[in-house]
Amino acid sequence: MHGGLLRQALLLLGLAVLPAVGQAVYYGERAPWQAPAVGKDEVELPQAQAWGETVMWVDARPAAQYESEHIPNAALLNEDRWQELLPPMLNAWSPEKRVVVYCSSQSCAASHEVARRLREEAGLKNVFVLHGGWEAWLATKR
Amino acid sequence: MSVQHVQSPLTRAGQSGAASPWLVRFFLALVLGGVFVYAGALKAWDPVKFASDIQNFHILSWPLGVRLAFYLPWLEIVCGLALLTGWLRTGAVGILSALMMLFIAVTIAARVRGIDLDCGCFGSATKNLPFRWHLVIDFALLVALLVLWSPVGRLSVRVRYF
Repeated sequence: MHGGLLRQALLLLGLAVLPAVGQAVYYGERAPWQAPAVGKDEVELPQAQAWGETVMWVDARPAAQYESEHIPNAALLNEDRWQELLPPMLNAWSPEKRVVVYCSSQSCAASHEVARRLREEAGLKNVFVLHGGWEAWLATKR
Repeated sequence: MSVQHVQSPLTRAGQSGAASPWLVRFFLALVLGGVFVYAGALKAWDPVKFASDIQNFHILSWPLGVRLAFYLPWLEIVCGLALLTGWLRTGAVGILSALMMLFIAVTIAARVRGIDLDCGCFGSATKNLPFRWHLVIDFALLVALLVLWSPVGRLSVRVRYF
C-alpha cells in the first residue's frame, strides 16, 4: 500500500514537471524570475514620492488597518464602504492630483479594484497603484 | 498495457440493496477531479499572478515562489486528471491531501499574522469570499479527499499501465 502510494506520488510529481518546464521555457525572460514586475498601472514608491504635493494617497485597506496606521494625509476608500467614503475622497481631490492607491502588500487585490473603480465609475485620470503596497512604505521606514 | 474490468458501482449498489459508499466515492472522485483541474487551470493561465499570491503568504522568497507558481498548478491538474480517470488515484489523493493540509496551515498562520490574503485559488470566483468561507471550502475538500483515501473505492474500469 505505502510502496504503491509512494511510487504513484513520485510518478505524478514527475509528470507535473514536464508541462511546468514547458510553460517556463515559453515564458522565458517575460517572467519576473528574480523580483515582482511593476505593472502597467503601478508606480514604485520613489517615483510616487518624487511627485511631491501632487500625490493624493488613497488607502484601500479595511478601516481598522487604516485607523491603526496609514501614509500621512491618505484618504480612506475601500469597497466595503464605497458609497460612504467616495464623496469625501472626491472633495479632497483636484484635477492636478495624481491618485496613488495602496493596500497591504503587492498581491492584495483591493488597490487594483479601487483604482479601476476610480477610473471607470468616478472618471478620474492619473490613477495608479503603489507597487508593493503598504509593505513597501513600511520598508522605507525601518 | 492491460484493461481490467471490475464491477460497476451501480451493480454493487444493487447487490447490497443500500446506498453504496463505493458509489459515493465514485462521484466524489469525479467532483474532486473536476475541482482540482479547474483550480489548477485557472492558476496555470496566469502563473505570475499566482506567484504574487504565493508571495503574500510571506513564507518563500520571490525567486522560489515564482518557480513554485509554474509547477503547483500543473501538479493540481495532473492529480485532478488522475482522480477523474482513476489512474494513479492513490498517489493523487495522497499528494492533494498533503497539499490541502499544508495550505490550510499556512492560510491560518497568515491570518494569525494579520496578512490580508487573496489566495487566488479559484480566480475571481472567490475573490470577495470571506476568510471563514475560504476555510470551509478548504476543509470540505480535505474531508472529501480523506474519504477517498480509503483503499476500497475503485472506478468501474481501471486501466493498468504497469
